[in-house]
Amino acid sequence: MTRYAAIKLAEALAVMLAVSFLVYLVLEANARDVAVKVLGQFSTEPQRDLWLAENGYNQPFIVRYLRWLWNFVRGDWGVSSHYREPVAVMLPPRLLRTGILAGLALLVMVPASFVLGILAGMREGTRTDRAISFASVVTTSVPEFASAVFLSAIFVFWLGWLPGASTTPGFAWEEVVLPVLVLALYATGYLARITRASMAEVMMQPYVRTALMKGASPARIVFRHALRNALVAPITVIMLQIPWLLSGVIVVEVYFAYKGFGTLLYEASLNGDVALIEACAMVSVLVIVVTQLASDVLYTLLNPRISFARRPDGAA
Amino acid sequence: MTLFRALRRPTAAFGAVVVVIWVACALFAGLLAPYDPLISTTALVEPFSRGPDGKLFLLGTDMLGRDILSRLIFGARTVVLWAGLATATAYVVGIVGGLAAGFYRGAVDQILSFAANVILSFPVLVLYILIIVTLGSSGANIVLAVTFASAPAIFRIVRALAIEIREQDFVNAAITQGEGAIRIMLFDILPNATGPLVVDACLRVGYTAITIGILGFLGLGLPPPTPDWGTMVNEGRAMAMVFPYLVIFPCLAISSLMLGLSLLADGLREASREGSRA
Amino acid sequence: MFNFTTLTGGKPHPEVPALAEQFRGGQIDRREFLRTVAWLGVTAASAAAFAGVAPGAALAEEPKMGGVLRIAVAVQEITDPALVSWVEGSNLLRNVVEFLTKVDADNITHPFLAKSWEPSEDLKVWTFQLQPNVKWSNGDAFTTEDVVFNIKRWTDANSKSSNKSSFAAITSVDVKDTLTFSITLNRAILSIPEMFYAYTCPILHRDFDKVGAPWPKNPVGTGPYALAEYGVGQKAIFKRREGYWGKKPYLDEVRYIDLGSEISAHIAALAAGQVDFIARITANDIELVKKLPKVQLLTAHAASTVCIRMQTDQKPFDDIRVRRAVLLAADNAQMVKLAYRDLGVVGENHHVAPFQPEYFKLPAVARDVAGAKALLAEAGYKDGIDLTLVLGNTQGRWEQDTAQVLQQNCAEAGIRVKLNVLPATEYWPIWNKAPFALTFWVHRPLAVMTLDLAYRSTAAWNEAHFKSPEFDAALDKAMAIVDPKQRALAMQAVEKIVQDAAIMVQPFWADKFTAASTRVQGLRLHPSDYHDLTTVHLA
Repeated sequence: MTRYAAIKLAEALAVMLAVSFLVYLVLEANARDVAVKVLGQFSTEPQRDLWLAENGYNQPFIVRYLRWLWNFVRGDWGVSSHYREPVAVMLPPRLLRTGILAGLALLVMVPASFVLGILAGMREGTRTDRAISFASVVTTSVPEFASAVFLSAIFVFWLGWLPGASTTPGFAWEEVVLPVLVLALYATGYLARITRASMAEVMMQPYVRTALMKGASPARIVFRHALRNALVAPITVIMLQIPWLLSGVIVVEVYFAYKGFGTLLYEASLNGDVALIEACAMVSVLVIVVTQLASDVLYTLLNPRISFARRPDGAA
Repeated sequence: MTLFRALRRPTAAFGAVVVVIWVACALFAGLLAPYDPLISTTALVEPFSRGPDGKLFLLGTDMLGRDILSRLIFGARTVVLWAGLATATAYVVGIVGGLAAGFYRGAVDQILSFAANVILSFPVLVLYILIIVTLGSSGANIVLAVTFASAPAIFRIVRALAIEIREQDFVNAAITQGEGAIRIMLFDILPNATGPLVVDACLRVGYTAITIGILGFLGLGLPPPTPDWGTMVNEGRAMAMVFPYLVIFPCLAISSLMLGLSLLADGLREASREGSRA
Repeated sequence: MFNFTTLTGGKPHPEVPALAEQFRGGQIDRREFLRTVAWLGVTAASAAAFAGVAPGAALAEEPKMGGVLRIAVAVQEITDPALVSWVEGSNLLRNVVEFLTKVDADNITHPFLAKSWEPSEDLKVWTFQLQPNVKWSNGDAFTTEDVVFNIKRWTDANSKSSNKSSFAAITSVDVKDTLTFSITLNRAILSIPEMFYAYTCPILHRDFDKVGAPWPKNPVGTGPYALAEYGVGQKAIFKRREGYWGKKPYLDEVRYIDLGSEISAHIAALAAGQVDFIARITANDIELVKKLPKVQLLTAHAASTVCIRMQTDQKPFDDIRVRRAVLLAADNAQMVKLAYRDLGVVGENHHVAPFQPEYFKLPAVARDVAGAKALLAEAGYKDGIDLTLVLGNTQGRWEQDTAQVLQQNCAEAGIRVKLNVLPATEYWPIWNKAPFALTFWVHRPLAVMTLDLAYRSTAAWNEAHFKSPEFDAALDKAMAIVDPKQRALAMQAVEKIVQDAAIMVQPFWADKFTAASTRVQGLRLHPSDYHDLTTVHLA
């Protein structure tokens, strides 16, 4: 197990290294462009030359990359050209806010989708199953921006129950209800379907059938035998939902003006804020690499039939 | 065969009908659309009513006075064309890479798998935004972005299937008979991998359509005045509370296409499972 | 003969009786009369008495003191107040720094930091008297030294401020004593008092450059509020300070909250009572705002517009036939109708609005698609021409909608326009660089102020690269005339030169709208979007 984890960790580090090189290559290969972005279009050529010299941009690309990488690892992430603030200071509160959003979304969607998925998968082909399955296909077919429009039409403008945008610098419960709902609506259907499929498969297993024939109550079978095996796939999928959430939060945060990581990244991209884009890209990649690692580990831990050495590819 | 079996299920048949309708819209947009989608007439005519000039607008007109039905129909062309093209390109890249990695294994596999891992460690939308913001918004760049982002996932599926099929007797037989690698990959391995790939493709076209919609929603979509569902939602959003039809119809369009593709994919998956059980 | 009182208590300018005659004779309207005599130093009260305007009714009850006003607005970086290029930024500054004069929502100029002014007969020497007892927030006394510092700074050879071209006529600034100074101009300018209220003209402390930019680190001012917090992209908080020289404002605190670029999010926040006032809504949002309970819609006509301008020194626009063809193909009336929901006035491609005082009505130019085609063919584009129009939706989606209508119009004449829509923040860096671009221009009370900034050969903001000595001369002539009627006649030449040069499609004058909670009282929408919060109180 330790050896397996060590190999996985080494792989993750290699991926991060490659990603950092790619990001730096795309954003900073052309030093003059960076100078224009940082100093603005109205800067003069001598100002740019001076800035390039001062910031070591006259050195070869690979040297610059290594220095940037070293600074990045040390936690020196540069200064945002738009906000004029150190990136390392700006990011943590934004990440926390997005973390709250994503965490609450998970908190809503995981129990909901497990219950729905188990209900549907226990009795494949029944009316309940078909209704749940169909509903989950429908919710996964409505993109976030569409459900955001519909939900805010109902709750903000028609009923007037909830605020339509986030304005408090801190945290307010009523402000996260709609974003969480939109995020959860989309992903719940997907997760419910996975749970249903997995549950249905377990219910077909000989040992469950035997128990059923022996006259054990269905509830008892589900809780004692089927559940553990049926939830292996969904739990690993939850980890893999986190990258999906990371994409979803961009749309949702922009729509509801929620000041999280998603809006930060979106605005940084629109503003050409190089240091900020780099940090955001690296952080989101870090989150994904960690969740993938966690998913691998969870999968092997939960499913003792799988050896530690290898997991089936394409399982995600 | 699997397709026919799938279509016997009512939900899958329904899905197929929806998809066929949208594809027909895309193919025959010029014949089906009542008006030119780019020409302004009277702004904000409500659905099922006539403009001052007596023209009937079934789904109303948008704030620039363009017929929404016509824009939806031509929007289907935009979506089917770009989502289709982008997914197809992603498939070519993913299949070629996956077959090579699964067949040759070794260094080829390791390099390609690593590259796929690197790309897959970006959140999809982050990757799209980075590419579109760096290169600008155009159909070709959307194809490029989708290829870049989707190919690794397809690669993984093909690679896994290729490894599995590679071990089977008929492939080994072909290898011992001295058949060329490319021939084996294309004629022995690929046909046996089509089942799962078709299911995946259905869903992936849908996701790509949604992605194009999201880019439109974020203001990074195809440049105006291209009729595009996501952009229509984005444009109508400010007035959605007063003129809800501006966003409801394009939202229904994109959701129905996605729903059709999902139901079809489900049907195909179930059918192929039953087929393998039988 | 009516006795006009002046700000200085001296004799009124010799033009004043003539203006009074014209007003009596019905040759100029009341609004025009009030504005013009205000520039000449006549007090608002005496002008209003002459014109028969009832003095404003006294408030039924004294407004409530206190409270926090929350405004949704983009909080961007402010480096140097004299270089601010966005009106919202100037509104933040306005709480802390003040101006020599103040122009109200009716375009009447009032004393502010300058207690009075008096022009010489030839309008070339203007003497200003400052308000005594004004203290900076750091305790220093406000004197002519501060004013001279600012004017010198604006007009310095190295100045990057747009003030440099607006005040280029200033040849010297002379200090008489700590509260009196005069400026000398090389040509007569009537609107000097009004020009001092341009949003790039806040008066900074004389030592501003010692500490230097950015302003939030150096927020010394004479205004009623002090900066408490400034976070770009987040919020700006201003708290009422003690020791303000003027009337104590009602609000305890003004809080600006950045809600991002989505106007729909701003409206939602207003509907939910999270903010009290949103800086801007667009024509597309009006219907919704009207439906919201407890929300008031504020509107004003304004000389703000979009200029779809072509750079006269860039291919293919260096050929005037191409530019003329674009203008002939454009259907300005359709653009205002569709893209701005008919909430504006059709423009005539010369950047002078019918409701601006110096407007002269030129003969209408009819749309002529065939003529546009013929011109194109003559210019060597028989099969039409491909153009790329750059825009940034800096004021909202209606800019893009306008461009889309123009695109349709042009298509009829074989001009294929491709739209390149950039994010607003990406647009401002290139606004004066792209050969063919759509730029929003804010309202200015006088057309000549805009023309002076945007079309004079040497103007810093001349985005069309328009160079015409005849225009410069005609503009100088118009700017020197006091009499509004005579000035309008002189404007005929100015407008004609701009229109004939075909440098831009200037489709319409966009009305202003904004929305506030009904709690907010005493707020008037200024056509320039300047917020005067000193009169605002909360119910």
